[in-house]
Amino acid sequence: MPFWLVRLKNFLATLLKNKLAATGVVFLLFFVVVALGAPILTPYTPSRDVVSGRFDAPAWISYVNGPTGYSQNLAFSVLSINQSGSGLNVQRSAQTASSVDLSVLSSPQGGTIQVVETLAYPYLGPPKWMGGDAKFSVSGITTGESFLVSGYIERAGEYKYPVWLPTVVNRSDTYSPHPSIDSTVRDFNQQLGINSNFDAASFIFAPRKANYNYVLQFTLPPGFTGKIQVTQFSLVLYGNTWGLFGTDSQGYDILTQLVYGARLSLIIGLVATGISIGLGLVIGLMAGYLGKIVDEVLMRFTDMLLVIPTLPLLIVLVATIGPSLFYIILFLGFFGWMGFARVIRAQVLTLRERPFIEAAKAAGAGTGYITVRHVFPNIVSLTYVSLALSVPGAIVGEAALSFLGLGDPNTTTWGQMLGRANEAGINTANLAWWWIVPPGLAIAILSLSFVLLGYALDEMFNPKLRRRR
Amino acid sequence: MGFRLYLIKRLINTAILLVFVIILNFAIFELLPGTQGSIANLIQNPRVSPDALKHLEIVYGICSGFDAGGKCIPASVWTKFTVYFTRMITFNFGVSQQTGDPVLYDIVNSGRLVNTLLLLGVSTAVALVIGIFLGVIAASRRGSLFDSSSVVVSLTTFSLPTFFIGLVLILVFAAILGWFPGGGVTPSTAEWIKGQVPLTEQILVRMKYLFLPALTLTMFFYGGNLLLTRATMTEALTEDYITTARAKGLPERTVLFKHALKNASLPIVTNAALSFGTILSGAIITETVFNWDGMGSWLFKAIGWHDFPVMQAVFYIIALCVIGANLVSDILYGMIDPRIKYE
Repeated sequence: MPFWLVRLKNFLATLLKNKLAATGVVFLLFFVVVALGAPILTPYTPSRDVVSGRFDAPAWISYVNGPTGYSQNLAFSVLSINQSGSGLNVQRSAQTASSVDLSVLSSPQGGTIQVVETLAYPYLGPPKWMGGDAKFSVSGITTGESFLVSGYIERAGEYKYPVWLPTVVNRSDTYSPHPSIDSTVRDFNQQLGINSNFDAASFIFAPRKANYNYVLQFTLPPGFTGKIQVTQFSLVLYGNTWGLFGTDSQGYDILTQLVYGARLSLIIGLVATGISIGLGLVIGLMAGYLGKIVDEVLMRFTDMLLVIPTLPLLIVLVATIGPSLFYIILFLGFFGWMGFARVIRAQVLTLRERPFIEAAKAAGAGTGYITVRHVFPNIVSLTYVSLALSVPGAIVGEAALSFLGLGDPNTTTWGQMLGRANEAGINTANLAWWWIVPPGLAIAILSLSFVLLGYALDEMFNPKLRRRR
Repeated sequence: MGFRLYLIKRLINTAILLVFVIILNFAIFELLPGTQGSIANLIQNPRVSPDALKHLEIVYGICSGFDAGGKCIPASVWTKFTVYFTRMITFNFGVSQQTGDPVLYDIVNSGRLVNTLLLLGVSTAVALVIGIFLGVIAASRRGSLFDSSSVVVSLTTFSLPTFFIGLVLILVFAAILGWFPGGGVTPSTAEWIKGQVPLTEQILVRMKYLFLPALTLTMFFYGGNLLLTRATMTEALTEDYITTARAKGLPERTVLFKHALKNASLPIVTNAALSFGTILSGAIITETVFNWDGMGSWLFKAIGWHDFPVMQAVFYIIALCVIGANLVSDILYGMIDPRIKYE
């Protein structure tokens, strides 16, 4: 087995012996797996795919609180045709779940054709939104001919709710219900006789088990012939619960946002910290090794930057230059190197006086060679520790900026989720704890895992901290 | 003599830092593309007369004069900088675009500075007291359940982002339980706006509004204090004079607080002053979450309005506070550390 592999194995074994470090590593691996496997874990695009109603609670809450009052997404299905009228000859073809072609060959005494979809409503809570369509096109209609179209939702055996008031069709054209079948449209609610405080969906669909028919009805006059192509006949209900973590104020799935946010947090944390560590290494090495004036100037500069309060500066910079992920990572990296540079400088100062450096100089080694081949390997262990401990700072810093609304609007990070939750008025109206708690906990656990890892690495590499076991 | 020399050195350092902050402020607000600084919005504002605009352009150093046709002669960077420097030193920040009032008025007279200082002061004091007290106890019982649990709790609240703590507190205590109000400094009823509320009731209600934001900021800040106190106390408790004190029969409380803590307090004090910058950042976020009318939320609103005079004023004041805190920390360090006094 190659030697470096043996060393890696020993390193991991020592690291994982520490219980806290093992926890940190496990959490970290969990987030990495989630981040990498995002497309597998969820088929939706974060902040773009509306999956259900707004402010939906997680679906499992119906198990915790009991099924009363909760519902989930449903759709009407199973298209069927009814017809009545003696002598009515209708041929149907091309029937799918939401479309059918009807050819009226003869209707000597008129009649009605009904295109019906059914739903057995199984939930004990009302739906949050209903929406659908009943689009059809007519062809072969001769001038002077006309028929009536109407649509309604019927609770079997009880009441009929009109969703498309009887309309005259007298031209070959494509027709859609007007107002559109959407319970957020005020006119739609009004035609059902509901005032604006109520929602058509919860008005029509009673919170109990019942059967519903969604009917598109054509009332034909005697002697009518023509073709009616029903192209989009569907009705969808959004429930008031959804998924593992519910939805936010726009109906976007929160689990999707969490999972893709993991990617962003890891990238931001690691890249920004990489920049900080890189800068800190270079500056610390230069200040420590080149000494005297270079040291003094660099340390004064570091002190000046340390005094500037980071968050206000970041806020101001992002506000003036514009929110973009690239600049945020860049700025986070540019303002995180100071502490690390000091630590590196202190270590280099002690190393500089060691005999092996003197020997190398006597052998004729140049500054660059000594720095890279001798000094650097002895301080690289400090790098690991600082890396682990600085990542949470970058992650939380980006979260703070996003929370204040300064994040990149094309992305959805955990901080932005919390920011949007704050804007949507969580504290007063909606109590959407499923929107606040998961992203915040995720940030905290990710930070904590890096901190634990950092402390464990510190104990391993810094002999002064080793406790006698 | 040692102390006086030290003090002079630190004062010079502070002055250099001040100049640096002004240069930085200048670079961000006046030189970066996309900002024209103080009168950016006024240029398009139809209500500002051309003469007033010309006057303002000279006052703010954008134009060094006007030629015959009335067009602006752009000022050199050096002129711009000297004008800017004078303005910053004299606290003349211009006029806010949101309210139309001078920025200094908005910050001082409208009570925003006081609100922020109140929140900061209460939170810092409580966090220091709790953090130091618990840290001392944790250090004295090293390895016990109390010790490990306080370390874990501190690390956890340290990792939780401030705004998350705030949101959860609002959710639990304001929205669900209704014990505390969800935001604001005072209620917005008629008596409060007119200022007709009796003093005792005022104090009680204000404390109710202060409680959740102060709790948030305290939870954010006490963890660091606890961990640092625990570390320095552990080191101090291994010294020989502690063993002597215990052998003398002094009660444990005296040993811990009067002997060990006094000697361990130096890093704690300097750290507290130096982390003023961090706690200010925490205050900005807390103010935004709780709609607490202070400097932080004012900065936040200014960003939404692209109100550059306010933005640079708040940033400048915050930087001044941090530099001031550093100076205080240096002075305290000089006073407490005998190595400096008796050099």
